Amino acid sequence: MRKLKVIGLLAVFVLLLVKCQKSAVFPAAQYDDRLSGGDETVFDATSQAFGNMFPNLAAYDTHIHILGDLTFNQTFVTAPAIIHGGLGPIFNNTGCINCHHNDGIGLPTAGDQQSSLLMRISLPGVDAHGGPVAVPGYGLQLQDKAVYGKLPECSVNIVYTTQIITFADGAQIELRAPTYTLSNLYTPIAGTYLLSPRLAPPMIGLGLLEAIPESEIIANADPNDANNDGIKGHANYVWDAITQTRQLGRFGWKANTASVLTQVATAFNQDMGVTSSVLPVESSYGQSQYDGLHDDPELPDSLLNAVKFYAQTLCVPARRNTTDATVKRGEALFISAKCVNCHKQTFTTAVDVSRPYMSNQVIHPYTDMLVHDMGPGLADNRPDYLAGGQEWRTAPLWGLGLYTTVNSPGYFLHDGRARTITEAIMWHGGEAEGSKATFQNMNSTDRDALLKFLQSL
Amino acid sequence: MKNTFLAILAFSAIAIGLNSCSKASTTNTTNTTTEGQVLTDFAGNLVNPNYQDIQAKASIMNDAVTALVANTTDANLTTTRTAWKNTRAAWESCEGFLFGPVEDNNYDPDMDDWPVNKVDLDSLLTSTNPLTVADITPLTTTLKGFHAIEYIIFGVGSTRKAADITAREKVYLTSLAQSLYNTTTDLRNSWDPTSGNYTAQVINAGSGSTAFSSRQAVFLALVGSMSDICNEVANEKMQTPFAAKDSTLSESSFSHNSIADFTHNITGIRNAYLNSYNGSTSTYTLSQLVAAKNASLNNTLLSQMNAAIASFNILTAQNVSFEQAIYSQRSSIISIQATINTLKATLEGDLTTFVKTNIKD
Repeated sequence: MRKLKVIGLLAVFVLLLVKCQKSAVFPAAQYDDRLSGGDETVFDATSQAFGNMFPNLAAYDTHIHILGDLTFNQTFVTAPAIIHGGLGPIFNNTGCINCHHNDGIGLPTAGDQQSSLLMRISLPGVDAHGGPVAVPGYGLQLQDKAVYGKLPECSVNIVYTTQIITFADGAQIELRAPTYTLSNLYTPIAGTYLLSPRLAPPMIGLGLLEAIPESEIIANADPNDANNDGIKGHANYVWDAITQTRQLGRFGWKANTASVLTQVATAFNQDMGVTSSVLPVESSYGQSQYDGLHDDPELPDSLLNAVKFYAQTLCVPARRNTTDATVKRGEALFISAKCVNCHKQTFTTAVDVSRPYMSNQVIHPYTDMLVHDMGPGLADNRPDYLAGGQEWRTAPLWGLGLYTTVNSPGYFLHDGRARTITEAIMWHGGEAEGSKATFQNMNSTDRDALLKFLQSL
Repeated sequence: MKNTFLAILAFSAIAIGLNSCSKASTTNTTNTTTEGQVLTDFAGNLVNPNYQDIQAKASIMNDAVTALVANTTDANLTTTRTAWKNTRAAWESCEGFLFGPVEDNNYDPDMDDWPVNKVDLDSLLTSTNPLTVADITPLTTTLKGFHAIEYIIFGVGSTRKAADITAREKVYLTSLAQSLYNTTTDLRNSWDPTSGNYTAQVINAGSGSTAFSSRQAVFLALVGSMSDICNEVANEKMQTPFAAKDSTLSESSFSHNSIADFTHNITGIRNAYLNSYNGSTSTYTLSQLVAAKNASLNNTLLSQMNAAIASFNILTAQNVSFEQAIYSQRSSIISIQATINTLKATLEGDLTTFVKTNIKD
């Protein structure tokens, strides 16, 4: 009898201890959905939320990230210079940070020091690699600034026209549509040319997007709309100037760039006029602005790679208010309105034993990394490899709720025409026409719930 | 006896078991009234007075430049250099809390971009441009601000004499000083309650502010900016010329003013912690919020701030400039960097955790 009592009491003790144990297998349902960037998520909702380094980098990697950060923040000057020379002769801005202010989205103006909108240009047709055709004397990007004594290629003028949009419940908002014209061309352009505006995008989570297996992205492609949901995403395959191969396009508003390295080297070369070992030819080569200096590459490989690494290792901010009932209802509306069919919530990055911080991460970028027809309202009518004139890559929505905090007042879409998330939604068309219409027909309570969900990202 | 003993043992075990399941519960919030008063004093006792002082000092420098251009003597050049250093001191001090319009409206790069674009600056001087304020306003930021002025009034190696300043440089200098004054005016107005009133964004954080959804967000932005300037001083401004063994890569290389720059940067951190400018005292401070909950952390922070500010004494006591120390006192520079990085680690670690844990609104 006494033995029984002892056994009974010990059993109670064991049970209590067991109660304190966590289960050995972590159930998916208990996954913390605030962790948008997996292990590389940061709990920071301040104006600096986009500028945080991956938390678990080794000491040497930390050093490289910081070196990249310093270079990203550095203003470049005309060569020859004691340090940070090589700016121009023609350029869009003098340093990375001047467009990616606080590592966030840019300011949709042209010609000012902090302008973050650049203009792509091309002739109709395709080049030998299936890409856009360079304009003689201009290339594929317009540089609207120049070092002293050199002529900028042009001035870009932006004019907005407005229209009123009415929701089913009678509420109204104003949308503004930009029109772009060029003036002060340094040399005439013969014939028709195509323009496409591109706003500096946020820098967060680029390494994680790069680490999504290509097969996972392709698996979501549905070019013939086989599932009959009205949505036909497809991949953009592009010519990569660095590897000299055809690659899946992942970055840029039309997914026309294959890797973070190519993106960084192209930005140095085209946006700032700074040459590197991988893109050693000045953007002005063959033009009257060319400096003729034998100083290329102007950017040391150490700094190019440091900036690449910096861009790859910026955290994604954690979601806020995920347990809020309205946010949860907004998420359900986001799914039922089929927004989620393109703004795909979850990917798992590839296993990469050499980079454990990037490896096998469950991430929530809210993009399928594919290009979609977004309708005539947003069209630039300038094809970019396989992305047609009305097609744009699904923009990642992680960090969306912090755009206005990081870059007050904050802008949205590829050209910054939208001043609020509501405006951005109402610009959706093409394959997203149905989702937009669903939003337009919601009552204000539902619209607010959906917006509250988007603000939580 | 045995039964009683077993029962006691068993209940103890249960009690331990239960205890191990519960978390410690303490009140982890600072006084919300005091938090609000700290922010009010931050704006009223530090930021606004600091920005007013920068403008006042820039005005004095502008007047000194006018006098120098009218009467280009070595005495007037010395006065102008002193006015530049005084303006610079007030400016570098506010870099201890670099957030808000100073960043959002790019007043920082407008006044303090680096390096000077010497190629373009020399071309500009030989051009026929009028070099008026309106003419230089659209120029890239590396052709304006403190360092362009420094280049003209100090010259490479700080060797210039009044007689060396050319007529074109005088025209340019006049516009540079006026332009810098204009920017300091914009900066001052941006926080002034009677003008741009960013002050309201800070003191109304969490209750109507469009910039800050909570008071915690302001304090995190503040602490983040405090650690950022530690990083900038120790690991950028000091490290770049140190690693390259090249004093021309120091930020204020023409004036050899780097130690003063660095000291004022770190003093700005302590100013932010104590809501103090030029020795003024505040009733409500971040230090007070920390001390009320964690006296040891407060003492650590104050001692590390004081140590970081004093760390430059090792050079000034020997009358050695940073530009000289790069070559001759390398171990001293390493120790200064370490002292600043210690403060940085506490700001990024314990103080940030403190704010996240204790400032809940």
